[in-house]
Amino acid sequence: MRTLSRQDVGLREAAVDLRGVTRLFGEVPAVVRVNLAIERGEAVVLRGPNGAGKSTLLRIVATSLSPTYGGGAVLGFDLANEREQIRRRCELLTHRTRLYEELSARENLLLFADLLRIEPARVDEALEHVGLARDADERVRGFSHGMRQKVAVARTIVRDPELLLLDEPATGLDDSARAVVDAMILDAAAKGRTIVIATHHAVTAGLSARVVSMRDGHVEGQT
Amino acid sequence: MTFLRQAGVIARKDLRIEIRGRHAVGTMVPFAATILIAFGFAFGPGRDVLERVAPGLLWMALLFSAVMASRRAYQVETEDGALEGLLLAPIDKATVFLGKTAAVALELLVLTIAILFLVVLLFDLALADLGPVVLAFALGVIGLATVGNLFGVVAEYARTREAIFPLLVLPLVTPVLIAGVRATDLATSGQAAESASWLGLLAAFDVVFVSAGILVFGYVMED
Repeated sequence: MRTLSRQDVGLREAAVDLRGVTRLFGEVPAVVRVNLAIERGEAVVLRGPNGAGKSTLLRIVATSLSPTYGGGAVLGFDLANEREQIRRRCELLTHRTRLYEELSARENLLLFADLLRIEPARVDEALEHVGLARDADERVRGFSHGMRQKVAVARTIVRDPELLLLDEPATGLDDSARAVVDAMILDAAAKGRTIVIATHHAVTAGLSARVVSMRDGHVEGQT
Repeated sequence: MTFLRQAGVIARKDLRIEIRGRHAVGTMVPFAATILIAFGFAFGPGRDVLERVAPGLLWMALLFSAVMASRRAYQVETEDGALEGLLLAPIDKATVFLGKTAAVALELLVLTIAILFLVVLLFDLALADLGPVVLAFALGVIGLATVGNLFGVVAEYARTREAIFPLLVLPLVTPVLIAGVRATDLATSGQAAESASWLGLLAAFDVVFVSAGILVFGYVMED
């Protein structure tokens, strides 16, 4: 007898479907038996104090970390065996910008455009969009944290991922950089992208999001 | 073709960073020159002795420089979390290995030319039979860069990376050191034909470690 899939019964495939996910660092549990389902197009905010397990959970969804126990699917692909398919469709933006200091803003973006065969013209459009067109050829070494985060946002815009994962994206940002991050989040939401934000800061104004509270690696509740 | 193109993109990125930052070459050339000059004084002005020890000194300077260059290749990846960016990029991780290995090998080749010039100048080393010498160094730098990159990423995940990296690399590259010294010694002492077996050993080492790197690098990079 064939098992019915979510599509068979009229349900849309979940963007994120975690089942019993536990992650240990040595003996220390960072995430404990988390079950979490996020629908496609939904925005979810993971709230909780430092050490609650928000970042670890995001990295598990992004496939940067593996669950020690449990598993699940992201955008319909298995977390354990279909990592490359997930990576093709998802982008993780953190307060660490993952830029090369000796390269210019444009070169940093062109690196990923080259690797992923993305039209180079989109790099200039994205830099224009985040207000860095004039500084595009300056080395990132001389950039403030806010400017670096704008470059990282531009990289996300270039990729236009189906699933956007943000880990404390507003940490240490001035108003101008924060506005760029907020605009990107709202734009992604308007396009129907799935968004998961881990933060203990105020959520982007105007974003309608489900809030999932975490503490000590456990999901405490949802509102 | 995509595989080689992506490896080329990674190699160009690393070379561009090195040319602009001059971190590896800026440290390696003075370091290698200091070794050669210090040993030159230690062994005294006798031409015979200097000629005999020159191949060993050359390779020792190259070996320690390779350790430094390989460490640097991964330091630039971790300064702002860029290694996670490469991990999450939907590309074959073997392209990262090949690209970074090619970049370090090219840096070492440039260094080799500089220290060969110094050795000829200081120790009066005869380079009449240049072919086998060039081949020995070309094969040798590929071997050193390959092992350096394979274990560079392993060490990056260790807390004591500065200590563990040389401990992992130095024993493994001993065959390169021995074969390189013997091939260079024979080629510079008028017995070039006898260096063939040592060159064969260097080539075999390269084939084994490049193949191993392509196969396992992705697994090593993953969590």
